[in-house]
Amino acid sequence: MRFFHRIATVLTTLFGISIFVFIVLRVIPGDTITSSLGIETGVLTPEQVQSLREYYGIDKPLIGQYLSWITSLLSGDLGFSYSTGAPVWELTKPALLVTTQLALFGTILGVLMGVAIGMFSARKPGSARDFAGQFFGLLALAIPGFVLSTTIVTVMANRFQYFPNGYEYMTPLEDLSMNLQQMLFPSLVLGIAVAAPVMRTTRSALLETVDKDFVRTAYGKGVKPRIVRLRHVLRNSLIPIVTMTGIQFGYLLGGAVIVEKIFALPGMGRQILDAINKREYATVQSSIMVFAILFVTINIVTDWVYRKVDPRIK
Amino acid sequence: MFKEKNGVDTTVGHLAQLFRKESPMKIGKMKVGLAVAALLGGALVMQPSRAADSSLVIGSVLDIDKTDPHSATNFATVRGLGLVYGSLIEIGAKNAIKGGLASSWIFGKDGTQLTLNLRKGVKFHDGTAFDAEDAKASLERILDTKTGAAARANIATITSITAKGRQLILKMSIPNAPILAALEGVNMAMLSKEDIAAGRIGGSNKPNGTGPYKFISWEPTQSVKLQANPDYFMGEPNIKNVTIRVIPNEASILSALNAGTIGMGIITDPLIARQVKSNLKTFKTPALAYYVLQFNTKVAPLNDKNVRLAIQCAIDRQELVNTALLGEGQITGPITSPAYRSDASARPCPKQDLARAKEYLTAAGKSSGVSFKTLVTSTGWATSVAMAQNLKAQLAKANITMDLDIVEQATYVPRWLAADFVATLANNGGRVDPDTMYTRYFTSTGNLNKVATYSSSTLDANFVKGKASGKVTERKSAYIAISKELEDNAIWVWLATPYEYRVATKKLRGFSALANGSLLQLRSATLG
Repeated sequence: MRFFHRIATVLTTLFGISIFVFIVLRVIPGDTITSSLGIETGVLTPEQVQSLREYYGIDKPLIGQYLSWITSLLSGDLGFSYSTGAPVWELTKPALLVTTQLALFGTILGVLMGVAIGMFSARKPGSARDFAGQFFGLLALAIPGFVLSTTIVTVMANRFQYFPNGYEYMTPLEDLSMNLQQMLFPSLVLGIAVAAPVMRTTRSALLETVDKDFVRTAYGKGVKPRIVRLRHVLRNSLIPIVTMTGIQFGYLLGGAVIVEKIFALPGMGRQILDAINKREYATVQSSIMVFAILFVTINIVTDWVYRKVDPRIK
Repeated sequence: MFKEKNGVDTTVGHLAQLFRKESPMKIGKMKVGLAVAALLGGALVMQPSRAADSSLVIGSVLDIDKTDPHSATNFATVRGLGLVYGSLIEIGAKNAIKGGLASSWIFGKDGTQLTLNLRKGVKFHDGTAFDAEDAKASLERILDTKTGAAARANIATITSITAKGRQLILKMSIPNAPILAALEGVNMAMLSKEDIAAGRIGGSNKPNGTGPYKFISWEPTQSVKLQANPDYFMGEPNIKNVTIRVIPNEASILSALNAGTIGMGIITDPLIARQVKSNLKTFKTPALAYYVLQFNTKVAPLNDKNVRLAIQCAIDRQELVNTALLGEGQITGPITSPAYRSDASARPCPKQDLARAKEYLTAAGKSSGVSFKTLVTSTGWATSVAMAQNLKAQLAKANITMDLDIVEQATYVPRWLAADFVATLANNGGRVDPDTMYTRYFTSTGNLNKVATYSSSTLDANFVKGKASGKVTERKSAYIAISKELEDNAIWVWLATPYEYRVATKKLRGFSALANGSLLQLRSATLG
């Protein structure tokens, strides 16, 4: 029963998103024709404009356009990109892999940094090391991603003549070394952004757990302090850290646009932004739906991780 | 490099033995740690190999957005497809009109017939020969309203097209000398008649042109790959491979140039252009495009000529160039076509004159000041908002309040097309011929006259006069009169032209930048 309730919630959420995205795209001024031809649209005759509206399928009533899109989507057809002449799925598949890899690397780096610094800070609250840890957290929150990205790109290129992202993007299967080079700095930028909230969450959760009875008992039994910190304190503080990590991973999927732009990575953020500018409705709508499905999946995985971390949660 | 023994990397194994007192689990973790560190370290230390000398990678913020040359308007598309397709006429150095796929031409005595002699030995990339039938089919496709061709209006005076041997004969409804310039460029690309008949243009069809480079592949948002055409009528280009790579940030393009990962970059932001150091070569040319404060002369308060003149007199164009454009621009009048360039000193208030601005405001009955809203694009070009803010500050000195309505480009375009503005700051494209540049705006039947919001019988007559002769000296008087009428009435306030920048490695030789932004000169360039 609970399972069916969950599935119903997910489907309702996705249905709501599909309507929201469809309407928002139609409300913003401009259409595929004006975005494609720019001010040259003005030299078209009304017959030419009508002919192009038919070609792009935007001459139909809105409800017809929505039903046509959603029916295709349910049958696994994400639509067609008129500007590239390719099915949307062919564009989305490689872009999704880039963004997922980026978000995954960013999250891993962020969690490693955030948990380590959080533990470092929480060990002696109010001390100089706590101050240093919290200062890192504030700094990482305060520095915008585009500033950090631009600084890294400029320094590496000008000082060390190193800018692997200027080369053609390589997937891990095509060239693992190049792929890692192209992913390293963007992941680091995203990782720093993730590390700050994870660090703060880790610190608070650890400070809350460290006073619990079972921790005192563990110390009383003579368990080594390092083991107590890792197996008793950290393990029992994981729920808020997992929650924060899940949220951040979701944000990274959508928030990687700037980093993808500066590091020239052909990910989903760039694809959606580009498609919005071109008013390529099918590409934007279907790409956002893919994102939404991924986001919902991450939430389900996060819930599953809760149960693994704390078996008391059902 | 590493010898394997029983499936174990011996180098890592040896290191692990150093820690043999540690537990097996710890040794396992160390191995993993060392492997990851080696992978990351190796990745960082190893510099990717440089591209071969016969290959050029060009960094561009914009990707091409289609492969149909006739409906292309995006700068990146026009630039990229310009290397793939050929046109009957070309624009050469100093913006002179020269033969492309047509080697020579002659106008009939009354100027209503143009006979073009087509070049011999030209082939499409698929190996088929280019002939007059292909040229006829291409022009008919452009004239077909269903094509949505961007430059249809420029050749709309053609009434019949005849292919006769190697000759193409165009008959026109009126004498039209500027049609020669109108036959230039990607929007006038020559296509194969077979491709047109089979509907193999645009979409997922591979472009099949006559240009110096063959179209190899397009990965949307990533790159376009081109390969030298061995059958090109001017000979195979020396640079064998050209890749136009999308790097959606100009600062990153400059970084890639400094790191040597790309060989050329397309830069539009003067701020970035000024950061180019001596290790690179900059090709800088004044663009044909122009920045202009467009007015809607149908609505108050800009329906009053005196208010418009007051605004014109209150603007210090040099200050605008020095501040918002960082000195990277030239003051201009309406016509930027080099042979017919307007004299910017002949306009009312060629320099800022606040006293005259006040007089005009008084004459308009607005001595206490006037305010109007200006539509500005935030993403149309790099300096748009900076320019708008500078103009606003300048006009405030003359008691003129310019409120800014800043919107993103995709919102800006439909509003611009609908003339849904009181005033707008625009970056309009220029042409080598003033006829194709302004007929569509300032003739009473022009497609964009609704946006220009002004026409007159004298302007119509001068545009007809400008078409009638093929000689620059005879046509000049018509365009001087057009410029004068537009500026004396302050229909718009023309501000400045930007520069086009191509930044390249010093290894690139034999390349010259053209004012229309074309990269066609790569056909005669070398690397090394």
